[in-house]
Amino acid sequence: MRLIENMETFIRARKPHIATNADTDKRIVDDSFAAMEAAKAGLKGGRPNLWAAVLRSKVTRLAAAAMIIVVIGILIHGVSRKQTDGQTVPAPAKSPAEMMTAMSLNIAYRKGGLEAVEKQCDKAFKMLGLQPTRISARELLEEFSSEEVERKES
Amino acid sequence: MVEDRLLVWKFNRGSKEALRRIYEKYKDDLLSLAVTLLRDRSAAEDVVHDVFVSLARSCGTFRLNGTLKGYLSTCVANGARDRNRLRSARNTGLDGAESMSSNSAGPAEYAMGSEESERLYDLLARLPYEQREVIVMHLHHGMRFREIAKAAGVSINTVQSRYRYGLDKLRSIVNGEVTK
Repeated sequence: MRLIENMETFIRARKPHIATNADTDKRIVDDSFAAMEAAKAGLKGGRPNLWAAVLRSKVTRLAAAAMIIVVIGILIHGVSRKQTDGQTVPAPAKSPAEMMTAMSLNIAYRKGGLEAVEKQCDKAFKMLGLQPTRISARELLEEFSSEEVERKES
Repeated sequence: MVEDRLLVWKFNRGSKEALRRIYEKYKDDLLSLAVTLLRDRSAAEDVVHDVFVSLARSCGTFRLNGTLKGYLSTCVANGARDRNRLRSARNTGLDGAESMSSNSAGPAEYAMGSEESERLYDLLARLPYEQREVIVMHLHHGMRFREIAKAAGVSINTVQSRYRYGLDKLRSIVNGEVTK
């Protein structure tokens, strides 16, 4: 151990110093400046690469990934819908507001079940200034299910 | 460190003066590293040349992670490694160390400053390239094993082994010379 430490000290203390000469300096600096000019010209003249811009930042990378996932999800949903129907029926166009509502309720249900859906609805009503009726989402579902049972019995 | 960041910022804005300052600041260190690794001054100058031209090409898009000195040293080490591979491929069948010695013109040419430095230069020349690279980058250029491992594309354990074996070999060479 001691010997290795001595060897390290020996090497550290004898760092060689090799200086460049003027010709080398001139060659390197001139070539570097020429390369720099070419790079600057390329940046000004060339079309900006969208993917390079997207991949440069973490946030844009995540946003792009999320976007791709959403697009793939929508495509898969569309295909599965066509397959289950048996025949291709053009799906009625949904407004962005409807889609957002459906997505937010879906996410809320996955996160916390019916209670989360109820909270989400309360939030939406508060935001929109609407007065909800006294009935909760659970009661509404129970009512639906009892109606269905009655329908089947009859 | 702050000065380097400022220089990089100016360089990205297209300042030639900043590039010249970066070159002036690190040229001797980088050339020393390349010469010690390659034992061939003209090849070493070519490596440093390529590193700076490549840096200049990245003007406007260059992003620095870590220190500028570490980045440039890594680029020089990578360039030297590529040249060494090329040279080894050309000299297949010959002993690597011998071929390197025959290419070099001797340490006196490089004006290292002292007999001790020249002796160390000769000692390092007897090591395999990988061991020499780790020892020089760690002890002369202050790079961490992790950084060297990343630059060389090997594990940190491999780098540490190369370092230890290199030092052991140097020690045995020195001891052998003393006992003669």
